[in-house]
Amino acid sequence: MSKKANPLWSFFSSVKLTIILLILIVILFIAASFLPQYGDARQYVQGLSPAAAAVFLFLRINDLYHSPLFYLLLGMLSVNLIICSINRFYFSWQQFQALPFPEPAGIFDNSSPNSIAIANQDIKSLSSLIEAFLEKKFGCVKNKNTENGIIFSAGRGRFSVFGVYIVHTSILIMIAGGLAGSLFGFKADVNIREGETTDTVYIAGRGMQKLEFAVRCDKFTVEFYDNGAPKTYRSDLSFIREGKVDYQGALLVNHPLTYSDIRFYQSSYGLAPDTKAVLTYTGGREKKASVVLAGGDSFVLRGNNATVQVLRVEEDIMSMGPAVKLRVSSPRKNYEFWVFQHIEEIKKANPGLLSQVPMFNPGLFQPYLFSLERLEQEYFTGLHVVRDPGTAIVALGGILMVIGLFIIYYLPQQRVWVRLESTAQNTVITIAGRTRRNQAALDRRITELQLHLKENLRA
Amino acid sequence: MSHTMILSIVTFVYFTSFVFYLFRMILGREFWGRLAMIFAWSGLALQTAALILRWKASYDLGIGHVPLTNLYESLIFFAWAIVFFYLIIEWRIGNRAAGVCVVPVAFLIMAYTSIAPDINNRIEPLIPALQSNWLTTHVVTCFMGYAAFTVAFGCGLLYLLKNQIAGKSENTTGFFSRLPALNLLESLIYQSAALGFVFITIGIMTGSIWAHYAWGSYWSWDPKETWSLITWLIYAIMLHVRYVAGWHGQRLAIISLVGFASVLFTYLGVNYLPGLHTYIQS
Repeated sequence: MSKKANPLWSFFSSVKLTIILLILIVILFIAASFLPQYGDARQYVQGLSPAAAAVFLFLRINDLYHSPLFYLLLGMLSVNLIICSINRFYFSWQQFQALPFPEPAGIFDNSSPNSIAIANQDIKSLSSLIEAFLEKKFGCVKNKNTENGIIFSAGRGRFSVFGVYIVHTSILIMIAGGLAGSLFGFKADVNIREGETTDTVYIAGRGMQKLEFAVRCDKFTVEFYDNGAPKTYRSDLSFIREGKVDYQGALLVNHPLTYSDIRFYQSSYGLAPDTKAVLTYTGGREKKASVVLAGGDSFVLRGNNATVQVLRVEEDIMSMGPAVKLRVSSPRKNYEFWVFQHIEEIKKANPGLLSQVPMFNPGLFQPYLFSLERLEQEYFTGLHVVRDPGTAIVALGGILMVIGLFIIYYLPQQRVWVRLESTAQNTVITIAGRTRRNQAALDRRITELQLHLKENLRA
Repeated sequence: MSHTMILSIVTFVYFTSFVFYLFRMILGREFWGRLAMIFAWSGLALQTAALILRWKASYDLGIGHVPLTNLYESLIFFAWAIVFFYLIIEWRIGNRAAGVCVVPVAFLIMAYTSIAPDINNRIEPLIPALQSNWLTTHVVTCFMGYAAFTVAFGCGLLYLLKNQIAGKSENTTGFFSRLPALNLLESLIYQSAALGFVFITIGIMTGSIWAHYAWGSYWSWDPKETWSLITWLIYAIMLHVRYVAGWHGQRLAIISLVGFASVLFTYLGVNYLPGLHTYIQS
């Protein structure tokens, strides 16, 4: 069966199809860039009729870049690219193999501006002059005696005809790399508090993913410029395998860390939701003691069997500054009271307050006296965690594409023919050239050649 | 002299150059063309000096970085790239005809940077996302691409103008006969678009490498990424229809206008869509 007879083959071998597919992809991209993507499908569908909603959900308007429609267009474009390339390859191969002779029909007909007529000269010396000249400009020169005189042929950039196949292959490689990444890779996020360790990350839409190792955030630092703009975000991370620290490194924006094929990126940060309180207390037979607690934590008072629990940690309560609410459970009785950081100022401003409102008295549980030194806020670092086995494939595609484009546009195939025609009165030199790209540039080159020859002949 | 002062002088130098290119076209004397060219080269030299001064000034402030980091700096570089790219083409093809449609674009961009109220020309420190070695390569290649597409756009506009008039009347004398020849314009459109295409390809790739290091993904379908791909596809269509389907002249000129609209949207329009590149607005 001939390829031309197959309707499917001829459908996919049409350049018109390529153009139509590219235009459809452009339209899809425009739509996707204006419609919110990755949104909740239910929000979109509200207010639509059931039929419209069904179409909407089928086309995945809220996630067009992963919609069946986009995959269909990409698939068709890939097939179209492959078939067009196969169909044209024979033609390009012929071009690549094209023999210098016979020269293209009629090539010397329309070239009066490129002719030089000179008085009869020794054909041999003229031939060697032209040959040397073409060799310098174009490389390999061939010549042939015809009934119209001697014709020289030279050319360069024969390989340029394959540039387009390099570019088309690179596109297919990049599509394959993208596909490999979405099939075998993952993109996840995880927040880790300073000092804490985790081995699970969250993949949007897929849930929790356990890693083969654990990550600890040893420290998170954020620095600011004088104008308040952020200067540095930095997480010091330890990677722990089988209970031992295997690798440590500093993670900064633009400087990801890679550990066992998984890359970590600094993507956000924040303050940990629960603030810690630094409490001190005196009393009993004890010297001053200090504890660090978050809301809900408790400890046993030394020298007493009473338990102290932190009920609340407030950064600013009743406009009186930071405070914690404690419950002391002793065998005799339970007490609940607030401990303000700025208790001295509060006492000064409201004399007699502590006796009126026992809840505000930090010495309510005698003989102990509590004080709040400060509240401590901890940072958490937000990491983006990625495994993408397709990256190297896409990078290879990118390199090939640039190489291909350079071959097409900067090493174009140029072929020239020079005819040396002897008549009774004089000798006529005619130059003509062919290229499939940028004829104007080749024409300029031929004009240069002609001027140069003229100068040489005069000399 | 401060670099901002030099840049306002450059604006007038480009305007003068444009006026002389206009004289050349109307009066048909190459004298004006040479004068226009001298002004354009001088403007380019002055602007280069201003860019270097601004670069140095950022180091004096202790926050040294290449002057390509916000909208103001990118507009200045865009104007620089347009004139640079145009002058190279003028020198290569030995024809000054297209200057009249390209140089005014550079002038308008320069003028816009000084009169637009919401453009901040202060030198500001780099936020962490921009602290990368890829910044310079990415911005330079993208704007060289944009500049080449601007030249294609200018020539496309002239092509349509001349074609429209020439098509209606056989009168070949007068103003429009002095416009560059249609086949020269077409060749310029194609050459500039092809060069811009190579630059924008490298620009997208360097951006992609940078995104790989900064955001953890070489492609995130951020509106700016999507629109750069739309621009790339439009010019890919243009190069294909000419080479494979044999489209010429007017159709090619129209695509060069569509492509330029897409360039403008990629550059400025996407700032109004939510995405990762929005810090450029500040």
